[in-house]
Amino acid sequence: MRNPLNKRLFRELKSDFGKYAVIFIMMILLISEGSGFLVAANSMLFAYKNAFVKYKTEDGNFRISKKLSKNEIELIEGNEKVPVNIYENFYYEIPAEDEKTYRVFKLRDEINGVSVIKGELPENSDEIAVDRMFADNNKLKIGDKLKIDNKEFKISALVALSDYSTMFQNNNDIMFDATNFSVALVHPDVFDDFHDEYLRYCYSWKYCAIPEEKINMHGFSYDGKEGEIPIITPKGRTISKKYEIELSEDLMKEIYDVVHMEEYTPQYMNQAIYFTGEDFGSDAIMIRLFVYIVVMIIAFVFGFMINNTIHKESESIGTLRASGYKKSEIISHYMMVPIFVTVTSALVGNILGYTVFKDINANLYYGSYSLPKFETLWNPEAFVETTIIPVALMMLITWNTLRKKMRLSPLDFIRHNLSKNKNKKALKLSYKIPFFTRFRLRVIFQNSRNYILLLFGVFFANFILVFGLVFPSAIQEYSDEVDDNMFCKYQYILEVPLEVLGSDSKVESMISYMKFQSGVETENENAEKFSSYSLLSTTPKIKEEQIMIYGINGDSKYIDLKLDKDDFVVSSSFADKHKLKIGDKVKLKEEYEDKNYEFVISDIYNYTGSLCVFMNQDYMNEIFVFGDDYFSGYFSDEALDDIDEKYVSSIIDYQGLTKVSRQLSVSMGGFMSVIQYISMFIFIILIYLLSKIIIERNAGNISMAKILGYSNQEVSSLYLHATTIVTIISIIVSIFASSILVKYAFEFALRSEMNGWFYINVTNKIKIKMFIMGIVSYVIVAGIEYIKIKKVSLEQALKNNE
Amino acid sequence: MFLELNQIKKSFGSGETKVEVLKGIDFSLEKGEFCVLLGPSGSGKSTLLNIIGGIDNADSGVISINGDSMADMKEKQLTMYRRKHLGYIFQRYNLIPNLTIRENIEVGSYLSDNPLDVDELMEILGISNHKNKYPNQLSGGQQQRTAIGRAIVKNPDILLCDEPTGALDSKTSLEILKLIEKINKTYQNTIVMVTHNDVIKDMADRIIKLKDGTIRKNYVNENKLSAEELDL
Repeated sequence: MRNPLNKRLFRELKSDFGKYAVIFIMMILLISEGSGFLVAANSMLFAYKNAFVKYKTEDGNFRISKKLSKNEIELIEGNEKVPVNIYENFYYEIPAEDEKTYRVFKLRDEINGVSVIKGELPENSDEIAVDRMFADNNKLKIGDKLKIDNKEFKISALVALSDYSTMFQNNNDIMFDATNFSVALVHPDVFDDFHDEYLRYCYSWKYCAIPEEKINMHGFSYDGKEGEIPIITPKGRTISKKYEIELSEDLMKEIYDVVHMEEYTPQYMNQAIYFTGEDFGSDAIMIRLFVYIVVMIIAFVFGFMINNTIHKESESIGTLRASGYKKSEIISHYMMVPIFVTVTSALVGNILGYTVFKDINANLYYGSYSLPKFETLWNPEAFVETTIIPVALMMLITWNTLRKKMRLSPLDFIRHNLSKNKNKKALKLSYKIPFFTRFRLRVIFQNSRNYILLLFGVFFANFILVFGLVFPSAIQEYSDEVDDNMFCKYQYILEVPLEVLGSDSKVESMISYMKFQSGVETENENAEKFSSYSLLSTTPKIKEEQIMIYGINGDSKYIDLKLDKDDFVVSSSFADKHKLKIGDKVKLKEEYEDKNYEFVISDIYNYTGSLCVFMNQDYMNEIFVFGDDYFSGYFSDEALDDIDEKYVSSIIDYQGLTKVSRQLSVSMGGFMSVIQYISMFIFIILIYLLSKIIIERNAGNISMAKILGYSNQEVSSLYLHATTIVTIISIIVSIFASSILVKYAFEFALRSEMNGWFYINVTNKIKIKMFIMGIVSYVIVAGIEYIKIKKVSLEQALKNNE
Repeated sequence: MFLELNQIKKSFGSGETKVEVLKGIDFSLEKGEFCVLLGPSGSGKSTLLNIIGGIDNADSGVISINGDSMADMKEKQLTMYRRKHLGYIFQRYNLIPNLTIRENIEVGSYLSDNPLDVDELMEILGISNHKNKYPNQLSGGQQQRTAIGRAIVKNPDILLCDEPTGALDSKTSLEILKLIEKINKTYQNTIVMVTHNDVIKDMADRIIKLKDGTIRKNYVNENKLSAEELDL
């Protein structure tokens, strides 16, 4: 026969509809989001990885200053150590209006395939396909007109290129920029019509003779050229990363034997390719953690609710036990409601996750990455993580609460002796403390577990909130600081032709150098020459990244430093990120050679625009053997119109330096607002549930106080103010704790995962805003609880007498 | 008269299930009078006590204390009425579990502008040695003493006792009754005590016997005994 107690399930739900509805909604939203996120992430990650197979993503690329001859291609492809197939992947890097840059390729067929998200690939010479995300960010649609290099194109398709899932314009950029940078495809007929000065000779390669014992194909078929394989497949890598690095290093030497390269980017180093895959992983960890923490908080809330019910129904439980009901029957009965709520919300949550929330989350990814179309995949892991584990967690915590309580004898239940430790001494409070204060302190002590959970919950909510608030502020602050901190409006980085540095013929080299010199001379008196060079950082536990070394004049008018020989001054960003101080030794290394340099820091220069180093120009030219008159750029507060554009590699200006903040604003801005609402929602629900539990637990006492003649205000001031005190303390403590933790977490992530550095400063303004948001949320709850206290009937105390 | 009840009526339910619990109760008490309401279960004695205490409403009839009528009082006024005039003692003590013994008495003392001295009262009640303990660390008798302390610390005009010895053994019951008697003599509070223990009636000044919602007997106890003399 079914346990007749179970008939109470729906009555119990109905009798406390408000409370269970709130938990139900919270669980559904949580599981929907968790499930939707993991399903979207998994499906999109599959699509991302499958693109390596489906679209034949390159194994790497290199850029040179001129087209390879047939002979050179044969030499590279046929090298004995790492045979490869070489593919032309030329593009035009074309600046356009509004600081935009288009990287225009011709339609591809052999390698780096294209996923058409909307429209049709260009069939005519006046058509162009642009990156889908760039189009979204700039509100461009099919049929819109674009003017590139004075030619007008009609957008025929929005696409995702398999080698540009993330819009990194340069591989060393701190952040991608899908607002001002786009890849584009045009019809082959029009490709050669752009100006040559924009043309970049880029070649992609695919390894074509990897020994079979090094390959694990996971059963995927691949229809590339003979010997080629995809390095990534949906089931993982086909060759180990270590082996891929070995291959790419060997290949680099082989190519250098044939031609001088401007850039060499194997797949595993190409941020435009790998960044997306790595980001999927870290996001999924965060969302899982979020689900588990919230489920555990709810489970503890349930634990306290069950405790309350046991107190309320103590005599009945004792009678049932005395009548022969087993502990397990009582436990399973009281576990029924939380399990029912969790299972039902998990099922509803999963349905919503696979339908509504999957698309919401997919759009979040589409807001950051240029991914191919995806198909929704059934994700058993997501089901386990958002359904099985939450239910198991809920069962474990509630079962544990009940198991502990059920250790009491039936008589203890009947006599209402539910306190385990009867001999626990009352905490002495001085009678000099006003009575109401002592009373509130006793309420706090009595409900310490609830309040600890409240503190934890408030901390968790604030931790999320601080993320939501600090990002926009930090981004703005970074932009402002860069603006204030720039030592000049423009930094022209010149591109010294390879012939100057590397030609075997001295005559050819000299001629090239003379040409270069005349092309880069300027009449502008504002301009100041500097040398620059890029090395890689080697600080342990901090991600390897490019450090720009500036060689500047002894009396520079742009940089307030008087540098002697041997001076090695690091920017404050570099010092902060790498935890460097004056006197420390810094080891830097060549990017493509096994050559290291060691310097001692002589000073730190307050500059937050980039991670860089300042040296005396003469000394720098000497160290890197550039020659006495060498320079590779200009500082200037005015645009330099009289230097030959073909020698300008890049112009670092405010737009360039704030690329990170702009992209973060675009891709995270909306998400951050959502986070603020989520945290307020968690905050309100937690305080509501926990203060409700406290009031329910003390309903008899509240009723008795009313019988004795206490007014509603007085009762509220006793029971509600105790919660108010704890809430305010929790808010204040958690604001400071979460601020420190977020700062620490963010700095850790920047150091270990990202290029560049910017300061996360949880300002007082943010802290005040968090405090106000917390208090406003609490006032809403307190209002509801005050009504609840008012509704506690006088009969409540009398019931205990019956 | 200090406490006057006129035609108090109360029923529960409606239609066929309507039960008339009080069918027109009239009585009055002098200041300092000790009255015992006696009757079997269901006679309406606890309901009557709750109505006097302002925690339940009569369907009709008037109650007045020292000339202040309770009729048409709103919730706030009822609160003030209880605060000003009444002390309550229940069978199950109803102490606040997370307050110490002294603090439980302070709960009552806070309500009065002119409360009795808490420490002195605890001496009288014989619980001063336990003042820093929680209620669940005390025996039933000690808890009831605390409840009495809480009720009388504000020196109420009327002390309402609902089966105050109902949960106690005879020896402890006697101690509690002695205490109530002592309080009555010391502070001259009017006491209304509900009990079904026939013996207790002998210590009252007035005995009112209820049955089926009506007063069957209302008389002055000519042979009043002291609590000491009761044979519980």
